Amino acid sequence: MTKMRIKIDELGTDILKAKGFELSVGRVVEEWEETPGPNPMPDISTLREWDHKLLKKYKPFYLPFCDLCCLCTMGKCDLSKGKRGACGLDMAAQQSRIVLLSCAIGAATHTGHARHLIEELIEKFGRDHPINVGDGSVYLEAPHARLVTGIKPKTLGDLEDIVEYCEKEIVHLLSCCHTGQEGNNIDFESKVFHAGMIDHVAMEACDIAQISTYNFPKADPEAPLVEIGIGTIDTHKPVILVIGHNVPPAVEIYEYMKRNGLENDVELCGICCTAIDITRHTQKAKIVGPLSHQLRFVRSGVADVIVVDEQCIRTDILNEAMKVNAVLISTHYKNFQGLPDRTNDPTDEIVNDLVSGKAPGACILNSEKAGEVAVRVAVAIAPKRRKMGIIPEDSQIIEAAKKCTQCHSCQRVCPNNLPIPEAMKAAAKGDLKPLADLYERCIGCVRCESEGVCPNNLHPHTLMVGASRIKIREEKFKIRAGRGPIQDVEIRRVGGPIVLGEIPGIVALVGCANWPDWKANALIAEEFAKRNFIVVATGCAAMAMAMYRNEEGLTVYEAFPGAFDAGGVLNVGSCVSNPHISGAAIKIASIFAKRKLNSNYEEIADYVHNRVGAVGISWGAMSQKASSIASGFWRLGIPVIVGPHGSKYRRALLGRKDRDEDWYVIDARTGERVYVGPTPEHLFFPVETVEEAMVMIPKLCMRPSDTTKGRAIKLNHYIDLHKKFYGTLPDDIHLFVRTVADIPVTMKDEILEFLKEKGWKESKNPSPDPTLLPRLIRVKKEG
Amino acid sequence: MSKSGMFADIPVDVGITYEGERIRKPAMHVELGGPDIKEKFELLRVRKPEEVEDEKITVIGPDVDQIPEGSKIPFGIYIEVAGKELEEDMEGVMERRIHDFSNWIQGFMHLNQRDTIWLRMDKKAVKKGLNLKVVGKVLCRLYKSELPIIEKIQVTFITDPEEVKKRYEEARQVYEKRDARVRGMTDDEVDVFYGCTLCQSFAPSHVCVITPQRYANCGAISWLDGRAAAKVDPKGPIFAIPKGECLDEWAGEWSGANKVVAEKSLGEVTRVKLYSAFDYPHTSCGCFECTTFYVPECDGLGIVHRDFKGVTPTGLTFGAIADSTAGGRQVPGFHGLSYEYMRSKKFLRADGGWERIIWMPKEVKERMKDYIPAELYDKIATEEDAKTVDELKAFLEARNHPVVSRWKKEEVAAPTAPAEAVAPAPAATMPQAVTPTAPQMAVTPVATLPEMVVPAGGISFIFKNVKIYAEKLIIRRSKEGK
Repeated sequence: MTKMRIKIDELGTDILKAKGFELSVGRVVEEWEETPGPNPMPDISTLREWDHKLLKKYKPFYLPFCDLCCLCTMGKCDLSKGKRGACGLDMAAQQSRIVLLSCAIGAATHTGHARHLIEELIEKFGRDHPINVGDGSVYLEAPHARLVTGIKPKTLGDLEDIVEYCEKEIVHLLSCCHTGQEGNNIDFESKVFHAGMIDHVAMEACDIAQISTYNFPKADPEAPLVEIGIGTIDTHKPVILVIGHNVPPAVEIYEYMKRNGLENDVELCGICCTAIDITRHTQKAKIVGPLSHQLRFVRSGVADVIVVDEQCIRTDILNEAMKVNAVLISTHYKNFQGLPDRTNDPTDEIVNDLVSGKAPGACILNSEKAGEVAVRVAVAIAPKRRKMGIIPEDSQIIEAAKKCTQCHSCQRVCPNNLPIPEAMKAAAKGDLKPLADLYERCIGCVRCESEGVCPNNLHPHTLMVGASRIKIREEKFKIRAGRGPIQDVEIRRVGGPIVLGEIPGIVALVGCANWPDWKANALIAEEFAKRNFIVVATGCAAMAMAMYRNEEGLTVYEAFPGAFDAGGVLNVGSCVSNPHISGAAIKIASIFAKRKLNSNYEEIADYVHNRVGAVGISWGAMSQKASSIASGFWRLGIPVIVGPHGSKYRRALLGRKDRDEDWYVIDARTGERVYVGPTPEHLFFPVETVEEAMVMIPKLCMRPSDTTKGRAIKLNHYIDLHKKFYGTLPDDIHLFVRTVADIPVTMKDEILEFLKEKGWKESKNPSPDPTLLPRLIRVKKEG
Repeated sequence: MSKSGMFADIPVDVGITYEGERIRKPAMHVELGGPDIKEKFELLRVRKPEEVEDEKITVIGPDVDQIPEGSKIPFGIYIEVAGKELEEDMEGVMERRIHDFSNWIQGFMHLNQRDTIWLRMDKKAVKKGLNLKVVGKVLCRLYKSELPIIEKIQVTFITDPEEVKKRYEEARQVYEKRDARVRGMTDDEVDVFYGCTLCQSFAPSHVCVITPQRYANCGAISWLDGRAAAKVDPKGPIFAIPKGECLDEWAGEWSGANKVVAEKSLGEVTRVKLYSAFDYPHTSCGCFECTTFYVPECDGLGIVHRDFKGVTPTGLTFGAIADSTAGGRQVPGFHGLSYEYMRSKKFLRADGGWERIIWMPKEVKERMKDYIPAELYDKIATEEDAKTVDELKAFLEARNHPVVSRWKKEEVAAPTAPAEAVAPAPAATMPQAVTPTAPQMAVTPVATLPEMVVPAGGISFIFKNVKIYAEKLIIRRSKEGK
């Protein structure tokens, strides 16, 4: 889609004589080599049938987090025990409605981010700036955009059309949450899927834009290793901390430093996705850590200037900055923080006000200006500011702990139910270890310090951070910079090993930092990389994975290669890089089966669901964005596992392995219905423990199209992990063994015996060409 | 973990979980073979039943627990098997399983094959009771369980340097004999080919025909592999194809292959000529190692491999070319292939073989040096010689590549580009008239006017024979109205 303008001063040919000819077309939509499929720019109703097919297999299982609805003034309505609200809505529909609301917020957040970022980049680089996400190694540059919108983007300007479509759909989705709209829970769920699909399209456009303009690694398996951890931050330099998701202000900070020769004199570090994205731009920047590190780092007082953009920022950031005399700069209208808008004030004046302490912060909605102000202020205040932290010394901790009355209020408000009182008791006696041990399990929400929680006004989080001082200083790790998409060639190369089961599956570690302990991310990554799965990660999960060393002292990024291959561990990038993961599954359909991508969502989702052994795991899923990201995977039929807090998303999508009738596919070769077992068993599954997650991962990688060798290897991992963590054989092996050739060879005797007990029979059609879509039955051509 | 099943009596775990386990130097008890040792081998021989004592395990020389920690020693694995269905031809395929099976043993690492093997045993595992006798037990059980056509098996490990030396020579002779046999094997001398539908799990309409002179596209399955696989698992995805009647000896068309391809592709493909990229070419899934691409201007074929990062002279990358030949379709001129097939004497024979190859990346050319006819080697361009079609033409002409003679013929006769050989060219290679980014597909004009007058501010444009092509026209108002 380019703008077309033809201007001819004078033209004389046999057929045309023209003077001052000018022709202008707003947008020329370019067709590409693929003709459009059946679903261009799907609206809410287009893919409903597909959603219902999935939701029939994976029924929503509601876990009401709240029995009431208080969205309109007819309420509050109690929906428990089969009651309906004043509007007529029942509990199931209300729960789905809240899920939809959450996903619409999530999708809107990414879409808003995409819109804002793309507009800024267009202004800076021009509408015709070409898209380049792989330097020639990526032919399928935008699998989601192609699949959903039918647009094959070539320039930044083309991305605007994609985002426009997303915006329109989100408005409709959000409106469905209004009182007196949708009444059916399954139709709400279908809309949830729609929100997720839209979200992936928007995120993809967003990441494509920044990769193409900001010199990010382009589908690079050897993206450089960068530093992560509080201990990596050089406290002797002026320190600028960026927090959020929208990277342009951080890029402008760095560019200003570079222009003024300050690259080595000022420390630029970040938290959350802005941190990931700035290290994709420059390896001189450092990552402090995931979201859980926000408050503890701010309170350490190390940062002289804090620059926030959008999403996942502590909403009390101004208060916290003021406590340690740090200057706050807000760069986004989504997040004014009550600060005056000084975008149009002279730079010198803003700098003077901030350096002199006349103002605690400023809102500057211009990235370049914000960049300059941040650097100049940091350089000016650092020497006189004295790194003022509010982290106590050991003696102070012990004295404070002695005041603890063991009332357990702090433990009650702790989302992870951490045994703070016990740790306090030990600390009072001079043993700070139990307090320090809480550190890795703490998400840094600081609810324990809220007004009125502790009768003696103790600050457990602060004391814990104090007790972990040494550990925190040693937080020095390496993470591979976010590489962006998966190369087409990498996908082609793993085709064989995936078919043969040598690569049993793709595990995606994604999501936020609301976990029961952050180490689990690394443990899962390590376990499955060792088992030759491909491990891909984004955002806070990708960061947490880096913050753990194996026996040899290496992080997973140092121990395993960054290629999309057996045993690879890939940091794909920030939140908005998630579509590269789902996009890899989409590309498999195009590359191996030559399925048309153009406007062909249903067919590709059917392909992915039945063939591609991928599973997402969000150990610390927290936000509305995480819910919409997950729902984008669901619509493609890719299962997602969430950690313990994930049940607060209000419902799971569970398969019933005991119901044989749920597990039939159509063999596209014959039209015959074939029982294929519960593969994959669930679409959305919350787990309580990391062990539970590890057993579920290989199980959810099984697909109806598995070759016997592939199934044998997946089963081997499933059984092996089950034995390792539960000490027993799983009780459902017979549902996954189709023929004797599916049995892992080293377990043959044992499993054959088990199968005999279960009265197992060999499948008559163990390898159908599986589909859920009758229209894909292939009629044999005679000839 | 609880110990049960077929390895309950083995002191360490056994399972594919341990595949890829690395044992580093500090953790190693002993290194068997490896880069520092000249004499090492592994060999599997098919014997008569009376020559094999089932599950007998012998260690000639000391077992590992009697070898000092940290040693590196010469080493041999000698496996003898017997069974009614076994053939000498299957030895190599079965021998390669030593690698998998050994690696599944916790604390035992196996790298490479034949006379390049490199094994390590872990200290902790040795302490738990792992030794060569135990490894032998595991190998016997895995071989018999995984390859039921093996009825009897005996395993001998050799750690005695003199004995290793003796048998090392024997092993090398066997390897040489095997290689010579495989190299010499032709499609004409066998009665069956093998079909493989493994990739149908991802590419449902693709089927590979594997012959002695045509490896599977992926480069992973030879005719011998196919033969062994089909015997071991007769119901599996690799199966025998009776050749049937030879319909075209030169281009490699057999009625048996056609029948199977038609059946397995549900009639999508009904004929396949195994040695042609143009005429009923063999289909491709997606995991081929290389692909050909047709250059119409030169009437020759280029070859590009998966790892080539640049752009071929036609302006297309590997990705773009590969995209036009995946998913089980027959696209003349665009043909996925393996390196091994390029080494075959029948390589694209019907199209002129190497004489038709005009361009390939330097890396592939060097890799194929021994297989490209010497007189052609310098006539095939690489990315260093030609970056555009014009440069390629000039290069071929200057070096007098055999395809140049085809151009001359064409100048006399009518152009005879192979039927339907259409390049999936991106916009860059086909400049279009009005919009620089016009679609490539043929569309029917939706409006045809003999004459159109467009008045515009005092002047009129007269368009004659106007044709407006529109598959779809979307016009939106530009937001900023510029």
